[in-house]
Amino acid sequence: MIRAIRVFFLARFVREKLLLTGFAVLAAAIWLSSLAGRTGRLLREVRVTTSSLNEQALWMSNKAKIEAQAQAAAAQLDAARTLDATRLLAEVGAIAEEAGLKTYSSGEPQDQSNGQFSVHTLRFSVTRSDWDSIKNFYLGLQKRSPYIGIEQFSLQSDRANAALLNASIRISSVEISSH
Amino acid sequence: MCASPLDFLRSGPPPPRVAILPDAMFFSRAIPVAADATREQVVSAVGLALEALSPFPLAQLYFGYYWTPGAGRALAFASYRRRFTVDQVAEWASAQHVLPAFAAVMGSDVQPATTVILSAPDGLTAVHWSQGTVPSLVLHRVLAPEATAEERATARAELIRDAGEARTVVDAPSPPAAQPSRSDREVSFAAGELRSKLDAATVAALDVRDKADMAALARARKRDVLLWRVALGSVIACFVLLAGEAALFGAGMWEKARITKIGAQKAEVARIMSDQELAYRIDELSTKRLLPLEMISVVAAKKPATMQFLRATATTSSLYTIQIEAQTSNAGEIGGFKTALEQTAGCDHVEIRDQLMRNNVASFTLLVTFKPTALPPATS
Repeated sequence: MIRAIRVFFLARFVREKLLLTGFAVLAAAIWLSSLAGRTGRLLREVRVTTSSLNEQALWMSNKAKIEAQAQAAAAQLDAARTLDATRLLAEVGAIAEEAGLKTYSSGEPQDQSNGQFSVHTLRFSVTRSDWDSIKNFYLGLQKRSPYIGIEQFSLQSDRANAALLNASIRISSVEISSH
Repeated sequence: MCASPLDFLRSGPPPPRVAILPDAMFFSRAIPVAADATREQVVSAVGLALEALSPFPLAQLYFGYYWTPGAGRALAFASYRRRFTVDQVAEWASAQHVLPAFAAVMGSDVQPATTVILSAPDGLTAVHWSQGTVPSLVLHRVLAPEATAEERATARAELIRDAGEARTVVDAPSPPAAQPSRSDREVSFAAGELRSKLDAATVAALDVRDKADMAALARARKRDVLLWRVALGSVIACFVLLAGEAALFGAGMWEKARITKIGAQKAEVARIMSDQELAYRIDELSTKRLLPLEMISVVAAKKPATMQFLRATATTSSLYTIQIEAQTSNAGEIGGFKTALEQTAGCDHVEIRDQLMRNNVASFTLLVTFKPTALPPATS
């Protein structure tokens, strides 16, 4: 068959031969360029996917270890004394009252849970309070440790009255589900 | 259709278009040449010999010659140009080679003392090899088209006798015809059972046309073959690219399956990551206590009277570090304060940064890092 094609090709006029050759070369070049571009993109995707899969495999291979770590960490706590979001809010409010804080506010608790364990986080703000009240509140929180913990503490003097202080505290608690 | 794709690619060029001229039109002579002669010397010797033998100048002859490197002779043949009509010559334009029938069999692999008898309707031709690769003699007998078999046999016997001692006689009942060859550098002919293979240079020498025209034709052919090879290469490249497309498609499907797998595992991995973060936070709550007021108390104990603390911040991300923004009307105290803190038991590192001076008040940020377990939790 190739002989017949060759005969056909060689029997053409020179301009036709040039045209046929040009078309064939152009088609191959365009195709090659397109294929090379798509291959490059695919290779980049493959590298990203491989990286993601490896990362996922690493996490999954450590699954048992991580769960054991969570269990071990939770084992240090008495499930009955852990606080859910509502109890955290109530407990912190009670400590604030007990410490003699007059002007304070709290944000809505944020929850992070895996079903078995939950961590509740609360933003608590105290304004225009004296040092002793804030200190008492702080000590009250520390007494409830590790069931109530301080994640962030910011204290600053009030602009209007340097003798008074404003405090912003991020408080968290752990809840261990009983079922 | 070829048996396999490999055969398709290996398939050589088609038979060239060859104009076979009647042997009766040509006279031939064996011309002695030096065994170590070059082709240029042979061409020159053939030209001189033909000019001597022919009553016509070389420019009025169609001529060619057969010679192989190392041979002691060349066989030259020529014909007066006017023996061919304008129409006949015009037909040669489309032919790749133009040569007499006897020239086509000169590449036959024959033993010494062999005579080949070529049979044509208008006559018989004897090509005789006494020794070597170049024939020593070419004879032709003209026969009437209506000649009987007996007359043809008689002419054949006379030719064999006149050609000289022949130990082998090969009869070619049909005129030579071009055959497909392995490459462009070779031309094959078959005449009955007889096979003749000639290389490109030899066929060019056998071609009787004007040598300048032939050079132009050879250039054109070389160009055409180059174009053909480029076109064929491009087509083959397209087939390779097609295979590449198939491979890319397969790889794309494989990649898609991997992406699907990532999606399927995503929720599970997110849960494990969340578990780890929870484990970390529970562990932090259980074992690591942020002690901001304890740290402030230690730092405040060393504070000069003119210095004021504006803001203090501590986070569990830097459990043992307190950041304090302070100001003083006596900038010279800052260095001493830093030294005093560095000398405090349990203090690991002190850093002063962002120092600014405004209205004679120096403000700065103090970063004090304590050693773990250096601070006991306050109880009152």
